[in-house]
Amino acid sequence: MRCRLLGFLVLLFLPFSGFAYQLEVRSPGQQAIPLAVTQFPAMEGNPPAEVAREFHEVLSNDLDFCGLFRLVDPGAFLSDAGRLGLESRRVDFEQWRTLGAQALIKGGVSLQGGQVVIEARLYDVLRRRLLTGQRYSGTAKDVRTMAHAFADQILKSMTGDMGPFKAKIAFISDQSGRKELYLMDVDGHEPVRLTDHNAIVLNPDFSPYSKELIFTSYKTGTPDLYRKEIYTGREAKISSQKGLNIAGRFRGDGRAVALTLSKDGNAEIYLIGTSGHILKRLTRNWGIDVDPSWNPDGDKIAFVSDRLGNPHIFVLDVFSLKEERISFAGKYNATPAWSPKGDRIVFSRLEGRTFDLYTVSPDGSDERRLTFGAGNKEHPRWSPDGRFLAYSSDAGGKKAIYIMRADGSGQRRISSSGSNCLHPAWSPRW
Amino acid sequence: MKKRNACKLFLVMSLSVLLCVACAKKPATTSMEEGYGSGTEAAGTSELDTPAYGAIGESSVGEEGAATEKIPGMGDDIRGLERIHFEFDQYTLTAEAREILARNAQFLQIHNTIRVIIEGHCDERGSDEYNLALGERRARAVKDYMGSLGIPASQMSIISYGEEIPLDPQSGEEAWAKNRRADFKQAN
Repeated sequence: MRCRLLGFLVLLFLPFSGFAYQLEVRSPGQQAIPLAVTQFPAMEGNPPAEVAREFHEVLSNDLDFCGLFRLVDPGAFLSDAGRLGLESRRVDFEQWRTLGAQALIKGGVSLQGGQVVIEARLYDVLRRRLLTGQRYSGTAKDVRTMAHAFADQILKSMTGDMGPFKAKIAFISDQSGRKELYLMDVDGHEPVRLTDHNAIVLNPDFSPYSKELIFTSYKTGTPDLYRKEIYTGREAKISSQKGLNIAGRFRGDGRAVALTLSKDGNAEIYLIGTSGHILKRLTRNWGIDVDPSWNPDGDKIAFVSDRLGNPHIFVLDVFSLKEERISFAGKYNATPAWSPKGDRIVFSRLEGRTFDLYTVSPDGSDERRLTFGAGNKEHPRWSPDGRFLAYSSDAGGKKAIYIMRADGSGQRRISSSGSNCLHPAWSPRW
Repeated sequence: MKKRNACKLFLVMSLSVLLCVACAKKPATTSMEEGYGSGTEAAGTSELDTPAYGAIGESSVGEEGAATEKIPGMGDDIRGLERIHFEFDQYTLTAEAREILARNAQFLQIHNTIRVIIEGHCDERGSDEYNLALGERRARAVKDYMGSLGIPASQMSIISYGEEIPLDPQSGEEAWAKNRRADFKQAN
């Protein structure tokens, strides 16, 4: 009764929200909605059973990770689970209500002229209506991508904010014996190597709009900044000032890059255009200034400086060049990353003998520790929706890429073992 | 005859050293694999199935070879120039380092046609980017000190590799101390 009343109230105050229950987007894991994910039956063309199984597995995995849902045990499903149910009037919602499900995913799989077609639906069980429906088509190799896309769509339908599962994660691996740049799905599948520099490749960052990456490489002997178009493979050196050209980060509009140069004899942060010309020097200090990260408005940068003796996090106004220290504890604070919503900065801090991840408000208040336990957790980066973080940890021996929710829960390793994997970067939603 | 015996003895000794190394390496690899959970069991098993000699030879060459193999632009070692070491997160020269650099400066004054690249290196702890900057400071501190001892700036250049090229790829105080260093290489 209380539940229904809440639903009613939320309906009154949120007439445009898709789902009957208000979801707190910023705190995943707090309020889990019971969700039933069925395995889609075949519709036409005799599609291989593997298609429905893979779609179900990838989708369930994404939805389980995001922390908004509690997946209803498929072992308890009743007869409606095996029925197609592409329209709400053909779904036996009472069965799902009995199981305690408040949301339901149904659909069907077809093979049409060699193309895999997946119809997918999300229903509100209590209000007996369709929340979102999508039709995906592609080859059998695209099924994982289709499932990620539907997971993103479900998050959009229930929270108003698109998910980040169809995006990619770029990272560095020494699998070939050298550090090279790779790209993989958000769940760690389908890793693809992007560079063959046979040198040292470091620290990728995605352009916010075009499908390209910047990174540092010793390809011609010195640490220079490169850009690479992901699908054409076209590559160009964009900054090769004397000394360091490292840790480049695109501004939110994609038209400028902040990076560290040491051409004047000390590591300072500069603003350069995307073709490499220097627009502005941003720091002027005897200390080491590295690892810039933009706020979403593109008028402030968080960075690391050892100007007070030990590495600490500072925030810099790009126009006034006014600087403010925001980390006060620990003797080694590193690699800040500003959240896409602008409200938090995540960074890595050495505490005792181990690096762990923390977040803090951009004004230095409300610091919270996210990770505990074994392993150095380093190089945190946000998902494009700010719900999740990717980072590296050596808890398993070698460094590997992990993802977790923004509150530190749900940690899971996504990169394969056997080589060091580090420097993750989550792509924009493509 | 004696010489032959000595030769044989040497062979036997070096073989047993190899065996010892092999024995010492193997458990380390296995335990590392275990840390990754069930997903890697298959790979671990197949490695154990192959003859011990071959498997161990492959893995150790792969790892250490990668660490010491030169990347593009790296010069050759110069016999007669010694490397120096640094404290954690420091680029100041210790008294010992200054003594070594004084000897290195004498060598370079005699061999004044040799152009050197001073490489700055760090241990693996901390941010990779911060370490690139720290490595550069170390190399620059060495260059400045050598300059004060009369070596012309034109004879020296610097580069930082941060934590990317450790001498010892292990983790631990001993390895870290080895890896915080400046190396002298011949410019091509």
